Amino acid sequence: MNRPLPRIALGLIVPALILVWWTVQSNAGGARALAFVPLGTIAATFADLATGGLLLGDALTTLSRAVTGLLLGGIAGIALGVAMATLRPVDRLVGPIYHAVRQVPLLGWLPLIGLWLGNGESAKLLIIGLAAFYPTVLGTYEGIAHVERRYLDVGRVYGFGAVQRFRHLLLPAALPLILTGITQAIAFAWIATIGVEILLGAGGGLGATMGIAQAQQRMDIILVAIAVTALLGFAINHLFARLRGHLLRWQGNPA
Amino acid sequence: MSARVIAFGTALLPPLLLVGAWQIASSTGLFPPQILVSPADVAGTIAELVRNGELGSHLGDSLFRLFWGFGIGALAGLAFGTALALSRLFEALFQPLFQAARQVPILAFIPMLVLLLGIEEGFKITVVAVAAFFPVALATFDGVRGIPKGWLEVARVYRTPFPSLLVRILIPATVPPVLTGLRLGLTRAWLVLVAAELLAADNGIGQMMEMGRQLFRIDVVLAGVIVSGLIGFALDRGVKLFERRYTRWRVA
Repeated sequence: MNRPLPRIALGLIVPALILVWWTVQSNAGGARALAFVPLGTIAATFADLATGGLLLGDALTTLSRAVTGLLLGGIAGIALGVAMATLRPVDRLVGPIYHAVRQVPLLGWLPLIGLWLGNGESAKLLIIGLAAFYPTVLGTYEGIAHVERRYLDVGRVYGFGAVQRFRHLLLPAALPLILTGITQAIAFAWIATIGVEILLGAGGGLGATMGIAQAQQRMDIILVAIAVTALLGFAINHLFARLRGHLLRWQGNPA
Repeated sequence: MSARVIAFGTALLPPLLLVGAWQIASSTGLFPPQILVSPADVAGTIAELVRNGELGSHLGDSLFRLFWGFGIGALAGLAFGTALALSRLFEALFQPLFQAARQVPILAFIPMLVLLLGIEEGFKITVVAVAAFFPVALATFDGVRGIPKGWLEVARVYRTPFPSLLVRILIPATVPPVLTGLRLGLTRAWLVLVAAELLAADNGIGQMMEMGRQLFRIDVVLAGVIVSGLIGFALDRGVKLFERRYTRWRVA
């Protein structure tokens, strides 16, 4: 069972059984057949959407939205995290508000933001940015607040100024936790992007396509969009994990 | 004790200042009332929603869904994660599918589940269960895999029956990571439930906010934001207290 080939074969049994069950359901007819689209139709829809360029367009819209939100929220998050960790009054003042606001489930802000900003791009970016903001604040704050005292002592011995201290001591020492925060921010921003696209509908993207397909009862489109979403999410996480490994290569054996 | 009271007081001060600024901003007419209502008005709305039982009914529906959805999803996640970690056959059969399904952003399941299950209670409980399942299964898998091999070997040598293996080794050794997984699962479940209620429901706290938005009742929307935040806080804090209580022996 440890040999690779039989192991792969075993791993395919359950998905194959699901496909068989799916086919049986779709052949059963009646009301259920609407949801259980035949596998051939799903493949045809995929080919259709892929060659027509719709899928690519949706994927690019969603990706650029996610990246924009991530950059906005991430940069704001790192800035606030640094400010909270280095300036005590900021920590005292903003910390409790940050922790209070963070308790509201992310998409619970959507009706309020919808009233303020409508359902356009700015409302979406605000929610995605917020999703990226929370974990980066926390990671940056924790990273900088827990820099070992003796590093700072060394800096004092060398007569480092504030900028040198930040550049050569605080930032490298805090980097692992900052990157952990960004890793979580990426995952969370991706979920938020799909969520706001489904809930707000307008403006295109994979989530909006899923929402429209739901209204039209097009399970084939939904399944294709889910698969693309999952693949893209996996690719993004994988790429960032490699970047993280590269940035932290001086750590030797990463945990 | 008094130090804690002071710490609590200083933590409470900034939010109070914020509420004060909000009250001033709305009562000076800086923002029109369609954009911002005063905190006093929101408090009045919350009191009114409590008095006429609306808030209680929405909250009851939401918590009912959360309870069953999280309960089912977390139990399934515990069982699945344990089986995945202990049985090589089970792992070979289910690991590829599990890893693939885990890549789907949880909210992307909503349109599919709506088509499969409609928008009744079954859908909402299922989507909450799915949201809770993945973090709990993953944490349980990691937790059980993290048990030193020697412990399980000793159990095998002594032919320990599964129930005592569970009680003596599996549960105590995996409590900390599993509790973290449960906390994450509960937060996820609450997030997904509110989203599902915004999208498709005729009651529940998410629907209360969505109705508020459609009727331009910003006070009702803000009441929903506050209540859902308080619930989120209570859930997170509840599991954290539990965590501290049951992992104390590790620190001691």
